[in-house]
Amino acid sequence: MRRRAVVWSVLSSGAILAVGWQLGAETAATTGLAETQAAPDASSASVSGGSAATTPSATTPSATTPSAAATPAPTTSEAPAAAAPAAPAAVSGTFTGTSVSTRYGSVQVQVVVSNGSITDVVALKLTNDDNRSVSISNRAAPVLRSEVLAAQSAKVQGVSGATYTSDAYLTSLQAALDQAGL
Amino acid sequence: MATHVFDTMGTGASIRFAGDLPPAEALTAVETCFAEFDAQFSLYRSDSEISEIARGALTLPLASERFRDLYAEALHWRSLTHDSFSPHRPDRVLDLSGLVKAKAMDAAAAGLSAADVHDWMLNVGGDLLVDGNLEGSPWHVAVVDPDDRCHLLCTFDLDGSRTSLATSGTTERGEHIWRSRATSTYRQVSVVADDIVTADVLATAILAGGRERLDEAVETFGVDVIAVDADGSIVATERMHRAHGFAL
Repeated sequence: MRRRAVVWSVLSSGAILAVGWQLGAETAATTGLAETQAAPDASSASVSGGSAATTPSATTPSATTPSAAATPAPTTSEAPAAAAPAAPAAVSGTFTGTSVSTRYGSVQVQVVVSNGSITDVVALKLTNDDNRSVSISNRAAPVLRSEVLAAQSAKVQGVSGATYTSDAYLTSLQAALDQAGL
Repeated sequence: MATHVFDTMGTGASIRFAGDLPPAEALTAVETCFAEFDAQFSLYRSDSEISEIARGALTLPLASERFRDLYAEALHWRSLTHDSFSPHRPDRVLDLSGLVKAKAMDAAAAGLSAADVHDWMLNVGGDLLVDGNLEGSPWHVAVVDPDDRCHLLCTFDLDGSRTSLATSGTTERGEHIWRSRATSTYRQVSVVADDIVTADVLATAILAGGRERLDEAVETFGVDVIAVDADGSIVATERMHRAHGFAL
């Protein structure tokens, strides 16, 4: 029983991450970041959970043994068995996955399960400076200016900037380059 | 290097050739190309087709095929950018200027190619499109510093398939982008892409739509982006981290 519980714990963590990953991609495509934490679209969470193989909250009897569900306790932030006595056939609770390092940074997700269905998925570790959750596809990172570049010292042939008027062109860096033939 | 400068669409334009200037006909063809787009799509010209539409003197079903095609393309981009780029102004005037310049640049480039003119850089009002290289080296370009237009933010090469660099901002013509939501605080956005239409449209969309549009543009279109926020902070995609003038 103990071994089975451990195996289940590992499986569920993996599934939770898979669900989170899928949801992350989906969220990125539709809504972007920041919203994930507030309202990560409960309906799509359920759908993702349902389609991602072997969800941790599968409704089959074998997977919903209360003791098995309660076993991932080391990473559970709320008592997952709270609803179990009343409804022993379905799992409820909040499950936290382990932190996994990816090329987008470290990823950790939390899944809220209610009566065997995933109702909420929250990205815990993907945060920016404001501690808002950010999407996995978030690839633009802050950069600092290493020096002030004078136009004359930079051997460029073209300068891109916000659209200028004909008059403004005359005093633009591009005009200077054009006139100098540099 | 030889340079040809001309005025079009209310802004300055230049073409820089790696070698000598091409035959005069090729240069005239480029200017004509821009003039035709301007004559048809400029809201600053009362006799343009788009001004007739704006006045109600002409309806879309009766507009020219090129007009309807460009409008359709603008609507397509509107859909792709979730309304951050839109041909519909809040005052209900149909405005295709967000697309016209880039389309004209695209058409001018095709004309130069057809005339077998290669290795040039076209700059129209701060948007860049390059062809080939400069004596074997990639074209080296810069993004202007929005705080001081006499300084550069960074410099990098336009090489490989990356032919296009467009910048949208609030610095030169004031708030000429109609911001769809209050979600964006970016004041200058530069996009590097494989074609000038994508670069220009996405620069506008990201300036209007903020971080959400930026992430989506990178994910969906594989473009590179440099965005300057209201507080002066800068974000850039990985390839742009290596631009001269930046440090992580």
